[in-house]
Amino acid sequence: MRSIARHPLFRRLVETALTLFGVAVLVFTTLRAIPGDEITATLGTEAAGLSPEQQESLRAYYGLDQPLVLQFFSWLGNVLTGNLGFSRRAGASVVEMTASALPVTLELAVLATIVGLLIGVPLAMLSASRPNGIRDGFGQLVGLAALSVPNFLLGAALLTLISKYAHYNPNAQGFAHLTQDPLLNLQQMLFPALVLGFGLAAPIMRTARSALLEVQTQDFVRTARGKGVAPWRLRVRHVLHNALNPIVTMAGIQFGYLLGGAVVVEQIFSVPGIGRQVLAGIQQKEYAVVQSTVLVIATTFVVVNLLTDLLYRVIDPRVRAA
Amino acid sequence: MKLPSALSSPAARCLVAVAAAALVATGCSSGTSGKGGSTGGTLVVGYTADPNTLEPWKATQFQAVHLLEQMYSTLTELDADLDVKPGLAEKWQYSDGNKTLTLTLRKDVKFHDGKAFTSADVKSSIERIQQPETAAVAAATVKSIQSVEAPDPQTAVLHLAAPDAGLLAGLATTNLVMLSKDDTPATIGQKPNGTGAFTFDSRTAGQSVKLTANTDYWGGKPKVTGLEFRIIPDQTSVVAALQSGNVQFATLDDPLVAKSAEGSGLTVTKTPSLSYHVLQLNARKAPLDKRDVRLAISCAIDRKQVLDTAALGAGEVTGPITSPAYKSDPNARPCPTRDVAKAKQLLAGAGFANGVTIPVIVSQGEYATSVNEAQNLQAQLKEAGINLDLQTLESGAYVDKWVAADFSAAVALNGGRPDPDGMYGRYFPSTGNLNKVAGYSSPELDKLFAEGKATTDPAQRKEIYAQASRHLEDNAVWVWLFSSYGYTATTQGVSGFTPLANGSLQSLREISLQ
Amino acid sequence: MTAAVAGQQVPVAAPPARTAAWRRLLRSPAGLGGAVLVALVVAAAGAALLGLTPYDPIAQHPQARLQQPSADYWFGTDQFGRDVFSRCLAGVANSLRVAVVAVFLSALVGTTAGVCAGFYGGKVRGPVLAVTNVLFAFPPLLLALTLAATFTRNWLTIAIAIAIVYVPIFVRVSRGPVLSLRETDFIKAARVLGIPTWRILLRHLLPNLAAIVIVQVTLSLSWAVLTEAALSFLGLGSPPPAPSLGSMVFDAKILAGTAWWNLAAPGAVIVVFVVGLNLLGDGLRDALDPRNGRNA
Repeated sequence: MRSIARHPLFRRLVETALTLFGVAVLVFTTLRAIPGDEITATLGTEAAGLSPEQQESLRAYYGLDQPLVLQFFSWLGNVLTGNLGFSRRAGASVVEMTASALPVTLELAVLATIVGLLIGVPLAMLSASRPNGIRDGFGQLVGLAALSVPNFLLGAALLTLISKYAHYNPNAQGFAHLTQDPLLNLQQMLFPALVLGFGLAAPIMRTARSALLEVQTQDFVRTARGKGVAPWRLRVRHVLHNALNPIVTMAGIQFGYLLGGAVVVEQIFSVPGIGRQVLAGIQQKEYAVVQSTVLVIATTFVVVNLLTDLLYRVIDPRVRAA
Repeated sequence: MKLPSALSSPAARCLVAVAAAALVATGCSSGTSGKGGSTGGTLVVGYTADPNTLEPWKATQFQAVHLLEQMYSTLTELDADLDVKPGLAEKWQYSDGNKTLTLTLRKDVKFHDGKAFTSADVKSSIERIQQPETAAVAAATVKSIQSVEAPDPQTAVLHLAAPDAGLLAGLATTNLVMLSKDDTPATIGQKPNGTGAFTFDSRTAGQSVKLTANTDYWGGKPKVTGLEFRIIPDQTSVVAALQSGNVQFATLDDPLVAKSAEGSGLTVTKTPSLSYHVLQLNARKAPLDKRDVRLAISCAIDRKQVLDTAALGAGEVTGPITSPAYKSDPNARPCPTRDVAKAKQLLAGAGFANGVTIPVIVSQGEYATSVNEAQNLQAQLKEAGINLDLQTLESGAYVDKWVAADFSAAVALNGGRPDPDGMYGRYFPSTGNLNKVAGYSSPELDKLFAEGKATTDPAQRKEIYAQASRHLEDNAVWVWLFSSYGYTATTQGVSGFTPLANGSLQSLREISLQ
Repeated sequence: MTAAVAGQQVPVAAPPARTAAWRRLLRSPAGLGGAVLVALVVAAAGAALLGLTPYDPIAQHPQARLQQPSADYWFGTDQFGRDVFSRCLAGVANSLRVAVVAVFLSALVGTTAGVCAGFYGGKVRGPVLAVTNVLFAFPPLLLALTLAATFTRNWLTIAIAIAIVYVPIFVRVSRGPVLSLRETDFIKAARVLGIPTWRILLRHLLPNLAAIVIVQVTLSLSWAVLTEAALSFLGLGSPPPAPSLGSMVFDAKILAGTAWWNLAAPGAVIVVFVVGLNLLGDGLRDALDPRNGRNA
């Protein structure tokens, strides 16, 4: 029996724990550096009228009277015991809030990734079917547009168009979770997922295109073509299948970024996701809410990366051996 | 000509199919539940942010105040002209040289939990508001109350240290609602319990707060069965929600947004507002300690231009006092119209012939027009040799500096009150709790505000505050710019709402839906 | 002297290759298009910096508020009567400045850290990778958001906030190649010859890294422009009155229904700008990739 400390899995776990600790320190310190606190955020300029005694009692009320080091470790200790803090604004614990918001963002990220794949992969196949031809030009152009149009422009334009001219705005109805009203939920997710997915399509399309081009030139494809496999069947069954690896990796990376990166679209379409939870926490200076939520996002990000690695091994048996 | 051939390829067909599927999905769903399916007697109010607290004595954010005033009641209320009218107190009587105020309370008023409202609750509420531990933001408003007596359940007697003419109007603020003596601010922060027209139902962070009509409400049962405050973080998205009919009511503070709402079939009502846009000057910081420098700034600004550019003309140029009964004459100023030559002359006289640079703090995100105002002020003052150094701050940083009076000048939007003593009594008398932020005091203002507080005769008070207003303008204590309009946007079929100049939404309880 | 000799012995990063890369870049449609668009944008920024805009971008003309695009005002005017075209030019200059400084800083810090971590390993690698992992795990937009809220706001602090977010990308991009380069014969030879480490790094590693870093810089520039715009959209971007493309879009958002040109003009400029940078980045990648003569 060799020492468990040398096991790669153990080392990876230690590395992950250190990374998350670093995230905790970083979010804690940057938050304290932002001017203002929960008192001024709640009371606004009216805080100027408070007497010194009133201020003191409010500082104790919001837990701001403790030394910073103590605040940090008592928060961290709470997190380790599963207590992520409490939001006075929301009247709920961060655990409850996250349990409601994280699935929303995860769902949005999954849908956006699907949209991204649905746009990006066919586009890449179109491009790769005749490199440097007109189809390739078209595919690349769409990819370029996806990469270059900021999602806030696209989102705001889409929302204005549908509600002003089509009088259709599912996102203005009370938000429905997938479990409550799947039909309404999917309508509400449609436009945000389209906007995010369109942006996602660009990196997926680019990765897929070069992967496809590389696979196409390999011997087994020529062999298959020689055997008379139908071109379309060839592209899907042989070429695409073997180019899946980098595509999945790229989709995984993008999925991870969406966890925190969807905030602008969540804001425009009133989707109560995890990004908005952080943004509202920053605005209200609810330190515990922001710290814990960022930690949750970072953890999810790390887990998603791990899962992508695993998926990678499932798809490509060669990696499993390595 | 090559495009059609591209479309014939399987890959292209696949793309088209995806696009078509998306379109079909949209089409189908808009058929099933396109238009506001959630009404049924519930009024949906569009809100841009979560109410940040449910504790009425600590609430200053306007979303929180608008929500809380639906659930709680005050001793007095304000009518459409902002005159005091009965609330929980049915009538009142001054005696003992205006030093004793006897309130007769309404009978049969119940808290939402079923307990009766009595004078013991009044006594306990006022006493707790006065305690520093409670950290009530309106503690200063009831500072003149020395003690409260509750001789019988229907009578509360307030003993004052000195006459306080602004007290009755002051008691109408949501920050002075009556709580049950059995509740603490912390418990009602979780589980609201008031005497207001609506009872608390539920809330979901970042999504909505739901209220149910209180059938036992002392002012008569509300016409709608409930209210839902739905959080839609972006103002333009709120308008989009109104357009699609999913939200029926919203207040808008941005004139540009209101304009876009007007153009799309919504009913938009504008109400002159008590709050005022102002360039606050801190006369305790050089060079603004020189009166002529402040006057030069005041003379170099065309207020109408600030209003037209920053708020698209949606408002009125104003002097210090905005409440209808005591309104300052907006043109009673040392320079009634913009006078750049005079400004330069004043500046030279003060020893700044080569111009002067003044740092000014501006908040971004606190309210819509701040940055625009700052930019126009900067452009105008530049012509008079006054260089505004704009420091645009995120709202937390701005509030920090404002609260600490750590600024030379500040572009601000300050709330107004119906009574001039309530409005400025905390700023300009040297004993006011905001005097540090006001940055100015003078024996004359001290005297005028003391007189105003002690005088009950309306005509006399009017004269006193007119003098105070003149003093403020003559010394260019601040540069008052304009008061904007408050907007309410409603969809077809919503009727009965009366907007108030103090921005209150108390008349939501009178709204009916078709 | 010995160093120069050692350098000439290895066939990497010779000057002729660079001119060839340029030619390759300008021969590909993407590269040419990108170069032209970026040149256009840089020219616009230059014009703004030299004060060659038709109007002063911050001068207000209250009589001419919200004018439609016309011969006098090509892109119309905003609510202060400021010329939108002039503001777009100035906005390009400002956004370019933020993006260039942000990417320069992150490339400098990130590449240095990545090279050191890759070359020295051990003691340097640990901390560098730890910091990189932390920054990677922190949601980028939220990181930029908190950082932007922390500093006093001016264009430089915005640039620094964006730079911090992009540092880990440059660490990763540069570390990998260094790891493999370290094991190549010519570096080993240089070490045996006793050439000081900094010289090896500067003269042999950097030229080999240049291609990959240049491509990354170009692509990062486009992200930086978009991030600055997104920050402005959330109200945390460059402060007024100096226009930036993002803050122009932010300010004009609510004018979209009434004075669309206020939104459309800076929006279109952002898209053109970013398209140009992306095309150039693609072109550069193809041109600098020694394996690539043609497609992909």
